[in-house]
Amino acid sequence: MQKLKRYGRLYRVLVSQFLKTILQSRVDFFIGLLGFFFTQIMGIAFLYLVFEQIPDLQGWTLDQLIFIYGFAQIPRGIDHLFTDNIWMVSWWMVIDGDFDRYMLRPMNVFFQVICEKLQPDALGELLVGMILIFLSISKGVLIVDAAHILCFFISVSAGAVIYTSIKLFFATIAFWVKQSGPFLQVAYNLADFAKYPTEIYSKGVRFLITWVIPFAFVAYLPASYFLIEKSALATIGLECLIALIFWIVAYSFFRYGISRYESAGN
Amino acid sequence: MKKFIRTYLPFASNELKRNMAYKGAFYLFTLCSLFGSFIQYYLWMAIYGSAQGAKLGSLTREEMVVYVFMSYVTSSLTMISVSRELGKDVVKGSVVMNLIKPIDYRLSLIAKGLGTMVYHFMMPGIFVWAGLEFYKWYALGLPVVNIGNLLLYVVSVIFSFFIYVLFDFCFGMIAFFTTYIFGMQMAKDALLSFLTGQLIPLSFFPEIVERLFEFLPFSSMVYTPVMIYLGKYGISELWFVLGRQLVWVVLLYLLGSLLWKQVTRRMIVLGG
Repeated sequence: MQKLKRYGRLYRVLVSQFLKTILQSRVDFFIGLLGFFFTQIMGIAFLYLVFEQIPDLQGWTLDQLIFIYGFAQIPRGIDHLFTDNIWMVSWWMVIDGDFDRYMLRPMNVFFQVICEKLQPDALGELLVGMILIFLSISKGVLIVDAAHILCFFISVSAGAVIYTSIKLFFATIAFWVKQSGPFLQVAYNLADFAKYPTEIYSKGVRFLITWVIPFAFVAYLPASYFLIEKSALATIGLECLIALIFWIVAYSFFRYGISRYESAGN
Repeated sequence: MKKFIRTYLPFASNELKRNMAYKGAFYLFTLCSLFGSFIQYYLWMAIYGSAQGAKLGSLTREEMVVYVFMSYVTSSLTMISVSRELGKDVVKGSVVMNLIKPIDYRLSLIAKGLGTMVYHFMMPGIFVWAGLEFYKWYALGLPVVNIGNLLLYVVSVIFSFFIYVLFDFCFGMIAFFTTYIFGMQMAKDALLSFLTGQLIPLSFFPEIVERLFEFLPFSSMVYTPVMIYLGKYGISELWFVLGRQLVWVVLLYLLGSLLWKQVTRRMIVLGG
């Protein structure tokens, strides 16, 4: 309990520092926000243009697709906001020997990694996600009641955990090969597949994004729970289970990696 | 002319060698960027499956397959960033070292870009292209591309390369005003994927928007060469679009010279 309190206090200190950096470099903050905002908006514009030509996409309407797209941004944004420093581990920290300082401090290493940075760019993704979800609610394509609202929060948290686990897993490879950024990039980019209904893909791709790198559980599957009456257990429940399994695998792998860590610095 | 080539060729060949040295990472990045094309491919197949007519935005399903992969090949050949290096040089201050050398900084960046282009042509350009043509012939039962279109495509791609690099040089000068170039790059890439026709053929836009976009230099970067490859232009149109590309090369060159003169006049570098 004492320990938890200490970690909580440290995180608060970090957040206040982070807010100061935003205030200090406001232009950078807005540029970053704009960058991610634009990227996502273009995807939506694409859907609008396509739906000028077709009535529906394999049974999905434009409104439904927009919800799936927007919903996919929320867990991605949450993970991006809090754990962006994992990228640094996979790209630079191990090869530069910067990782040493985490090993020297008497604190949880994973906590140290993620608490070093909050990524304000993520707010661009969260903003787009929110806008699209509110748009979907106002158009009445969603089922809104207490159970669904509760499930929404559970689902985005579980989705963020899946993102973090995948990132952590691929970053951990750096302990062996010193730099695992490219691997992480490939895995992370697979998430783009999950912005659309998985039915449009061939069997191989569907298998890959469902069971190997489970991004289908982050977006499309839970989103379908909010759109069409599907059982919560088969969608959100399964998502939580997958999140738990992947977290355990990734975190144990990370712990094992740390135990094998050899400094590359001098 | 001989001296010119002797001065700038090493920039290109060194860049080529540098690219070859970091092969592993590059293969993975190529794989990543190909994901995007495959997502588009599946998406378009589903879209055509749900459409009533055989043509969408004046393209048939088979032409769309060609469009998706050729726009990937084209953008990997032409959209080679020089602003990243320019930005790094400016932020670090090492740009002054380039200003005191008796070479044209912009030309050296373009030469480096050419080196990267040659590398992208070998890997993965030619493989994706060959794969596509094989798929067209084997699975779709279509004739392979005719040689005339292919040659015109190559000419157009070379123009596209210059348009992009010259534009990107102008864009990179933003680095003189802000240090957070990563965010600007993201915004630029997102906008360009739209304006160049990478994400969706310009013929999908409402007529008036399409006209406007075709007028801008961006359509010349990807959309024009791919449409030439598909043989979508008649003879007179062909001259027009190639001429338009040439005009943009000249205009962007002049714009770049003008801006460069302006910013270097007010530049202050600490260290470097």
